[in-house]
Amino acid sequence: MSDDALKKILDSVRETQTYLNLWSAYKKIERLEVTPPEDSSRIVRLAVIGSSTLEPLAACIDIKVRLLGLHVDTFVGGFNTYRQEALNPSSSLYSHNPDVVILAIDAWSLLDQDFLSSFPRMNTEDRETLVDNITNEVLNVAQALEQNSSALVLVNNFLIPVFTPLGIVDSKQVLGLREFFQQANARLIDALRTTDRIHVVDLDAIASDFGKSRLVDWNTFYRGSVSFSADFMPFLADEYVRYVRALKGLSKKCIVLDLDNTLWGGIIGEDGLEGIKLGTTSPGIEYLEFQRTLLSLYNRGIILAVNSKNNFDDAIKVLREHPYQVLREEHFAALRINWQNKAQNMIELAQEINIGLDSMVFIDDNPVERAQVRQALPEVLVVEMPENPRLYRATIERLNVFDVLTLTKEDLARGEMYVGRRKRAELERKAASLEDFLRTLELKVHVQEVSDFNMPRVVQMIGKTNQFNLTTKRYTHAEVQGFRDSEDWVVYSMSVTDRFGDEGIVGVAIIKRDADTWRIDSFLMSCRVIGRSVETAFLAKIINDARSAGAKRVIGEYIPTKKNPPASDFYERHGFVKSKETSDGATEWTLDLEEKMVDVPEWIELTEG
Amino acid sequence: MNDIDERVNEIISLVLLIDKDEISDELRRKDYEPWDSMAHLILISEIENAFGVTFDDEEVVDIWTVGDLKRVLASKV
Repeated sequence: MSDDALKKILDSVRETQTYLNLWSAYKKIERLEVTPPEDSSRIVRLAVIGSSTLEPLAACIDIKVRLLGLHVDTFVGGFNTYRQEALNPSSSLYSHNPDVVILAIDAWSLLDQDFLSSFPRMNTEDRETLVDNITNEVLNVAQALEQNSSALVLVNNFLIPVFTPLGIVDSKQVLGLREFFQQANARLIDALRTTDRIHVVDLDAIASDFGKSRLVDWNTFYRGSVSFSADFMPFLADEYVRYVRALKGLSKKCIVLDLDNTLWGGIIGEDGLEGIKLGTTSPGIEYLEFQRTLLSLYNRGIILAVNSKNNFDDAIKVLREHPYQVLREEHFAALRINWQNKAQNMIELAQEINIGLDSMVFIDDNPVERAQVRQALPEVLVVEMPENPRLYRATIERLNVFDVLTLTKEDLARGEMYVGRRKRAELERKAASLEDFLRTLELKVHVQEVSDFNMPRVVQMIGKTNQFNLTTKRYTHAEVQGFRDSEDWVVYSMSVTDRFGDEGIVGVAIIKRDADTWRIDSFLMSCRVIGRSVETAFLAKIINDARSAGAKRVIGEYIPTKKNPPASDFYERHGFVKSKETSDGATEWTLDLEEKMVDVPEWIELTEG
Repeated sequence: MNDIDERVNEIISLVLLIDKDEISDELRRKDYEPWDSMAHLILISEIENAFGVTFDDEEVVDIWTVGDLKRVLASKV
């Protein structure tokens, strides 16, 4: 019953996400008794605390996160009670056990009432002291939140005021009013740069984007201490949703692009290489700059692919030869340039690149093609492109669906890895057998216990690996750190190189070590290296360690999900025997170390330590 | 029903979680649980924004029923 009611409420707000609609939906859902899903990865425990009345903002975030398909449980802190909530480890905030805490502290609440009026005559030293004070206040609370919970902590930075009593000479003084807050913001970023769990949310940038003159509704501000206007809150909520999407592995990984009238103006088959619009003046520069934005995303790890109705030879010529084409053939992980329907092409691209359709974004100027893909493949994000190509770039820049919580070495080099993949695929086609192919790859597998240096990538993989993932257990940075600190657990990472390049860290295993039994809690591997038998080398190393430690058996588990069939026969094909099966389809597998072992494939060189 | 009434009822319906056809002038804050102080704050500000008016603090405090709300609004638009 309540599920239907919930769906109805969410559908009513999906199209028009005004503050009034979001608030109403939040209050209606509050009255339903919604049962949380069994799958804990679909649940977000949210907390919003700070110096003002925060329920309105919390309501917007709550509903927008629900619209991602997640179940949300939201805690709203009291008015200006965030210190008690954060500093007392037994506060109601912590008994809520949040996954995400938003800390919204208004700078003015930390300053004396006469701060503004006395500012023009304040000396530099006093200004410096106050910058220190407000920064340290926020940092102390944020660090307490990090210490007392396993949550991702999102800290708003300070708004740079538009009004300053110093007027146009504000910047002629040392620490003028605006510089005062800019300095405080720089301090926050600097102090939190190296922590993984506290992020500074650039409230000031979001406010500028929205328009600072419309930021506050002074009626609700004075009547009810609500910091932000009804129009700004949904806009701001979108920013927090980006973090939730990244935390929950719901970010998109791949942009699939049409060519004609998308990457360039005109139709290559009709207008020819000289006739299409692509160059350094308009018309043409808008496409060039759209491509530059796409290239910037590629350079930080977003996969690009092509899905175009065209003669292959016509279209590839632009990618290879056009002097102003920014995205070249080697930037694309896969290309479908043909005359078949685009939904079918999307399915094939997903298979070739080896990612889920729900990780893909489709960009096409043609509304008919968009509608067809949207209808056939609802899991693909089909971007509603504007008719005016000059707005393409702004459209992609405002999409905000590609976020990751940490940017790793692997992310930055992903594009080159796909070139390696394509070359590997060519070699595989030429090789007489799979084994021949693997032998010529010169595979090197390195397994080690996870180091501080490797942690970001390891946590990132745990959060987002779906296909070759035996148990799909998601752990936070703090939880993985807990395993590393415990005597009873060990966390391994695997990195792989071959003659075409370094794949970086592509495997993680978490093991519970008891005297007789080693239990593989998690075993996962990037889909990039599926089919190269490196998982066998990884498993062999773990089993070898178990044997050296005197264990008698290794137990592994397979929990089926929609996405992990590629891992389903993993234990069976390595000689494990099924020892348990539960009604939900999960199976447990045991390898008796006195009878069996697993060998490293002879074409792999395994290194350790 | 005129346009103003229609828009006011829509806002009341969304903030107070009540069907439009169940809204009456007699609906009273004290007797209706969803009409708490937060809902009252939001109701007033949504009406202010929708019609470009401002309510004085005394007026806000003295609005006890839907009828009161509509009367005060009518004096402003």
